[in-house]
Amino acid sequence: MLISYNWLRELTGTVLTPLELRERLTMVGLAIDAIDELEGDSILDVEVPSNRPDCLSHIGIAREVSVIEKSKLQIPTSKVTKTEGRAADHAQVEIHAPDLCPRYAARIVRGVKIAPSPDWLVKRLAEIGQRAINNVADITNYVLHELGQPLHAFDLARLTDHQIVVRRARAGEKLQTLDDVERKLDPDVLVIADATRPVALAGIMGGLESEISQTTTDVLVESAYFNPDSVRGTARKLGMDTEASRRFERGADCANVLQAQTRCVELICEIAGGVATDDAIDIYPQPLPARSVEFRPARVESLTSLRVEPGEMQRILAALGFVETPSASPTVREGSQAAGASTFVVPSWRSDVGLEEDLIEEIARHAGFDKIDSELPPSNMAGEYQPVEIKRRDLRRALRSLGFDEAINFSFIDNAHDEQFALLPGLTTVSESAAERLVTLQNPILDEATRMRPTLLPGLLQAVRHNLNYGTRDISLFELGRVFATFKQGELPVEREALALVATGGALTEGRVQAEREFDFFQLKGALEAAVDAMGLGPLTFSSAAIAHLRPGQSAAIFLDDETPLGSIGRLSESLAQPYKFRQPVYLAEIDLSSLLESRGRPLQYAPLPRYPAVVRDVTLLVGRDVTFAELKQAIAAAEIADYAGVVLVGVYEGSNIPEAKRSVTFRVEYRAPERTLRDEEVEERQRKLIDLLLRKFAAELH
Amino acid sequence: MTAEINFEDFKPRVDAIEEAFQQKWERFRYFVLEPDRPEFAEGLNSFGPEGISLLEKAKSALTQAKEFQTEMLGRKSRLSALRKEIRNVAAADRGVAGQAMTRLELQMSQPLEIVETHLNHFIGTILTRQEALDVTLPGWRPRRGHLHPITLVRERIEDIFVSLGYAIEDGREIETDFYNFTALNIPDNHPARASQDTFYTSDGFALRSQTSTVQIHAMQRRGAPLRMIAPGRVFRRDTPDPTHNPMFFQVEGLCVDRGITMAHLKGTVAEFLRRMFGAQTVTRFRPSYFPFTEPSAEFDFSCFKCGGSGCRICKNSGWIELGGSGMVHPNVLRGAGVDPEEFSGFAFGLGIDRMVALMYGLDDIRLLFENDVRFLRQFD
Repeated sequence: MLISYNWLRELTGTVLTPLELRERLTMVGLAIDAIDELEGDSILDVEVPSNRPDCLSHIGIAREVSVIEKSKLQIPTSKVTKTEGRAADHAQVEIHAPDLCPRYAARIVRGVKIAPSPDWLVKRLAEIGQRAINNVADITNYVLHELGQPLHAFDLARLTDHQIVVRRARAGEKLQTLDDVERKLDPDVLVIADATRPVALAGIMGGLESEISQTTTDVLVESAYFNPDSVRGTARKLGMDTEASRRFERGADCANVLQAQTRCVELICEIAGGVATDDAIDIYPQPLPARSVEFRPARVESLTSLRVEPGEMQRILAALGFVETPSASPTVREGSQAAGASTFVVPSWRSDVGLEEDLIEEIARHAGFDKIDSELPPSNMAGEYQPVEIKRRDLRRALRSLGFDEAINFSFIDNAHDEQFALLPGLTTVSESAAERLVTLQNPILDEATRMRPTLLPGLLQAVRHNLNYGTRDISLFELGRVFATFKQGELPVEREALALVATGGALTEGRVQAEREFDFFQLKGALEAAVDAMGLGPLTFSSAAIAHLRPGQSAAIFLDDETPLGSIGRLSESLAQPYKFRQPVYLAEIDLSSLLESRGRPLQYAPLPRYPAVVRDVTLLVGRDVTFAELKQAIAAAEIADYAGVVLVGVYEGSNIPEAKRSVTFRVEYRAPERTLRDEEVEERQRKLIDLLLRKFAAELH
Repeated sequence: MTAEINFEDFKPRVDAIEEAFQQKWERFRYFVLEPDRPEFAEGLNSFGPEGISLLEKAKSALTQAKEFQTEMLGRKSRLSALRKEIRNVAAADRGVAGQAMTRLELQMSQPLEIVETHLNHFIGTILTRQEALDVTLPGWRPRRGHLHPITLVRERIEDIFVSLGYAIEDGREIETDFYNFTALNIPDNHPARASQDTFYTSDGFALRSQTSTVQIHAMQRRGAPLRMIAPGRVFRRDTPDPTHNPMFFQVEGLCVDRGITMAHLKGTVAEFLRRMFGAQTVTRFRPSYFPFTEPSAEFDFSCFKCGGSGCRICKNSGWIELGGSGMVHPNVLRGAGVDPEEFSGFAFGLGIDRMVALMYGLDDIRLLFENDVRFLRQFD
């Protein structure tokens, strides 16, 4: 909102400079974004909060200035000196939609001479960014900026039967508005019509056909109050934002309708000549009730800690237009009388005030927020991190030390990814249709991003592509974030927290260009296990599984050791790697972090150190490639060999010297007796028993 | 019993050993000199063909010196054999013979010991020189990753508020209309509810446009008194540009107790900003409007770059706008089951992304979600 300093001075007689005003207005809640120094005037760009439509005018800002300066507001008094006849003799007004238009006033000025406005008026409007049109139109605009009431002037001759009907538009009706656009109307739109057709969009913009023109002699000046929601709805729907709509949709001053109209008519008579009617047709069937607010002065201090003298409170409220009434309203709470409570009638222009707290704010902002003390509240509560927050921190730091950079992607993704990825177990729903299963945005901002992501993987793959494009080939990223799915239409979607990893290229060493080794499945698996371990959770188990987005044979389902399914890990499938144009293998993992965080951590418990040494024996078996290490390990543990104490992998070999369908696996078995050192022949006997069992069970050979 | 021999017969045998020693000693005599003398290296020439390194020659010399020592002084040496014969020397001469033999032994062993020490030293010097490292080469340091700047700033904010007695809370990102708007006293017709500003799912739920939603859940669950912050993702329908993203991170704080005033709000925000931006930071509160607080205030802090004199970061105003705050609106308290006559509270909110941009001098916040590792790797 642009405010002329000179204009403001006429209304307040302010002695403050524009710079001082900037500071003072900012500190009462009207921030000044900029001051534009013009010749002979300064223009203040005021940022008016959305709840203060009264400040979208010079008089509104002037009122704040008068409270700041303890000066008297000089409201322009209007007196139309030359009048003749009654308005009702020249026009008729009917309101057919009183819910959308509680008040409508029309007054006629006959015999005006349409001409360019005088220089002072053109200049004043230009200074606040308004273009001059003709004297009558400019005067309505001037009064709007002076008093905040939007006005409209019709050419009376163009109104069929000199009739004004405020009604909802009929389906199919059209209106050519002043900006020369044809608007299609419907019954949600409130229009000003004459006897036959719409002539204006109520509270937004007039029509082209009834516009003031060079030939206009008789003018009907409209001053009305329209329902804010109705004006906002129509303006949004038609994509319009005008000086009038901006004020009506925030709430104009219903009580100011006649005063502003009188001011406008006065200026028309003075500048454009003509004779006004004696009165206005003022249709106001159900006057809006004045609001009153109960006020307990002690509450100012209890809410803000400010100590304001009662007289100063009275002064501030009175200067802002609040009127104290002696009689308490019947709804006053018991005992509040004793606390010195009183009741204030809210001025008609302050649609934002309805509670005691609102009055406290009025007093506090004029007493000065800078006068409020600054102190910490008494310390009586202990701070706490959510237990999962600590684990998340452990997780992030573990992944960081494993060389992963943290990514954050938008939560919405392209629906082209709908069928590409296997979703986390917690998001798998029964519905076949992606549109039903996934969470879709009604109003995406990026055309392609219509789904709330059910998986973090597309974002990470996009990030890999981005980084490859910029020449980084060794990339490891992780992301923590919510993933979404709909389980039941009409119910809140399921939200799970997911953790995803992506790695491609090699593991770099700081300061060296060559990766020590290329990423493979086991590197990513190891990183994931280490990260989960750093949270004190797990262990995870892995089993070969077909996963939609992963390459067969290099993909696994991940479980907790109690068999809770958590997610998947593996190498990106060829069919997905192609559209991304990846020429190097990309490894991915995604797990349901919510499930993992809900799982019980590993209990930490001391076990006595063994008193006797263990004896170890290595064995190498040639087994079929379908025999997994996990199976071997499990068979060994289940063999119930006496004094068995554990098994670890030594190595795996596939390739030359080994039949294609076979794999050579070497592992080390440990034996330990609790009370003595085992003799060699005892160990040999146990190991032989174990090997015999394995050879039989897995059709294996010693290698 | 062997006949006694006298010294005259014994001495030639001593002399013969000495002569044998002197013959071979010729090659080793250079090594009695200090190893850094040029003759020392020259003396090595006879210990290997031309072309092999000094180190190899020195090693060979050392081996041969040891063999020489064994030959002359070892258990099977002629000296050792002669020593066994000394008891056959006539008693009168035995002393002189013994002295002669001891002298010979010292005459041979002392220089050979020096030779061995010097050769060892010489070899050690060469090896040390050869094995010298360029200690400025990079260590084998696994490349560590980097946390996102939003994580870094969020955790710092969390740490400060936990130390001030706050709990950290989080809630849903897709919310009902009630929690996203109604419970926050945002009226049905408020522009923020319009689909220009807020994302809606096809089922009509809202992507939370502020983390204040968490405050309502927390008050309903925990009741008053309460101190909590809610950091998290929020969504607003802004087209991405250098200062806007349709998704960003926010932290909101809430303190509800008996006797809470605006002074506590000011004190808390000021303390937070001092810990975040330094002890010299000054905070300013300006009246403003938010539906969920009354009175409402925006807060600015003195520019951490210029200290208030005006610079590019603060657009020459000396102040940096940071967030919104106020006393919790009685409708919000009441709606969450807290009696506004008994309890009062303050709430504040600020954008984590904006703090990241300020703290690291980021001029285009779209970078935050592009995940370019050249960007990410600039942070901790």
